[in-house]
Amino acid sequence: MSDAILETKGLGKRFGAFAANSDIDFSVREGELRAVIGPNGAGKTTFFNMLSGITPATDGEIYFLGERITQLAGPRRVARGIAKAFQTANIYPDETVLQNCRLAALAHVSGSFALEVFRSSRRLAEVDRVAHEALGLVDLATLAGARAGDLSHGDKKRLDIAIALATKPRILLLDEPVAGMSLEEVNKTDTLIRGLAKRMTVLLIEHDMTMIMGISDSITVLHQGKILAEGTPAEIRANARVQEAYLGGHTEGHV
Amino acid sequence: MKALRFYALTALGLAVFPFVIHPLGGYGGLATQILIVGIATIGFNLLLGYAGLLSYGQAMFYGVGGYVALLTVSRFFPQYPNFWLAIFLAVAFVTLMALVIGMLVVRLYGIYFALLTLAFAQMFFFIVFKWRDLTQGDDGLQGISSPPLTLGPWSIDLTTAFPALDLGPFGNLSDLHYWYAFVAVVTLGVLGLMRALVASQFGETLGAIRENEERSALVGFDPRRYKLAAFVIAGALTGLSGALRGLYETSIAPDALTVETSGNFVVYTVIGGVKTLFGPLLGTGLVMYLQNVISAKTDAWRLIEGIIFVAVIVFLPGGILGTFRRKSARTELARAVRATPESAP
Repeated sequence: MSDAILETKGLGKRFGAFAANSDIDFSVREGELRAVIGPNGAGKTTFFNMLSGITPATDGEIYFLGERITQLAGPRRVARGIAKAFQTANIYPDETVLQNCRLAALAHVSGSFALEVFRSSRRLAEVDRVAHEALGLVDLATLAGARAGDLSHGDKKRLDIAIALATKPRILLLDEPVAGMSLEEVNKTDTLIRGLAKRMTVLLIEHDMTMIMGISDSITVLHQGKILAEGTPAEIRANARVQEAYLGGHTEGHV
Repeated sequence: MKALRFYALTALGLAVFPFVIHPLGGYGGLATQILIVGIATIGFNLLLGYAGLLSYGQAMFYGVGGYVALLTVSRFFPQYPNFWLAIFLAVAFVTLMALVIGMLVVRLYGIYFALLTLAFAQMFFFIVFKWRDLTQGDDGLQGISSPPLTLGPWSIDLTTAFPALDLGPFGNLSDLHYWYAFVAVVTLGVLGLMRALVASQFGETLGAIRENEERSALVGFDPRRYKLAAFVIAGALTGLSGALRGLYETSIAPDALTVETSGNFVVYTVIGGVKTLFGPLLGTGLVMYLQNVISAKTDAWRLIEGIIFVAVIVFLPGGILGTFRRKSARTELARAVRATPESAP
């Protein structure tokens, strides 16, 4: 457990009487590529939102590199090295593709607040370097000057990942990175994620089982807000309780 | 070079402005009043245009700025009436006020933000109205002559008129007082500040937060602190405007803190053009001109103001200057689309 980069203990989120997540004891090793799967409504997105600081937890604790970050605000978690790409591409549509990444790099370089009311960010060469590097990683360098809102669905989602990368994360949370993508785009993103996993810890939510089974080091299955099973792809595939959870609920997963 | 051109052209514009409105029926003092109020509107545009925050309570900063400036002269330091001290205390007090109020209001969004700023403004209106010992209640502070402007060895009475010089249809140079020159210099400085601020790292981040606050928080920016800073800067400029107004008019009454005053800043900005540098000044000038000049000719000036407001919102949704700019953007887009092969069926 000592090599865990991100860990939760008894983590839970209640919305009134409804528990979206409860008793989640979860741990990811540095450098691991971990998938979080589960039927619709299993509480995957809520779990991610608690990790990234979008939603405060109502129970339990979150630790990042041994430090308790349960109460830490979202922007400060990003500064520590936790970045997230969203289920629906969350970008700055009116800015250029490059500027989307520059903004993220600017936050990385200047911190959560900088009262620089006279000097332009262009003085910071590091910002442009990091932004270009992030675009290169997701293979969007050729579209750097395009308006982000005009990109295709798949490119928008990769830009969202690039934005997360420009914050120089140690762990990257990807919420359904291939949802709604064509087969060709899925393959491209699959390759991208495998590449990223060599550089950092990656945690992803995904419904595409073919991809999950091929890409993950290990898988955590959430069901009704709790951890149902955890193990290697082969173990999860053979797990009777997982099969039951999926077949008893939605059949879209094809485990 | 670009900065030099900006300052030179703006200074030229400010120098000819009073003589341009003269043939249109604008009296000498109107140009000064427009610039003074314009300073507050420029600050308000930082909130509405660049931070996307609709404050409906800017009158509290404007009014309190005016009261503090005049009270500094008449009540706090009557034995040493000093122009700069009056301005400094007014701006300092309003800045602090904006900081405290801002910490509470930047947590809210949209209509709730607007209503909370409105509620604070109403509280300050009530305080000013009821604290008769200090503010003279609804009579307001009257006849408090402004101390001379001290600049090193010089002591300048701002109410002095410029020397007589007949400018034909553009009136006479002596229609203007030194006040105008002083306020024009301040306006130039405020425009320069706003120009730098918008292009700065701070302005860039503020724009990003306005465009997508959720994303901005999750790249590591703290949206509340940026919005608070914008709120304080806008408040300080509004306080400066109020202080100048008080000293210029030599009086102030609670009407400076009314909802109507707050609403005026919104109207001026929207008509002139949100998110443009000169729009707020243009909107202030246009509407104040109508309020002052048309109201002398017809009682229906409110109706005219209303029709203009509606027309701008319906036909020029970016405001007068904003629409010009967006039109050129639209042309660029059309050009880009034409250059792209058909992508849609």
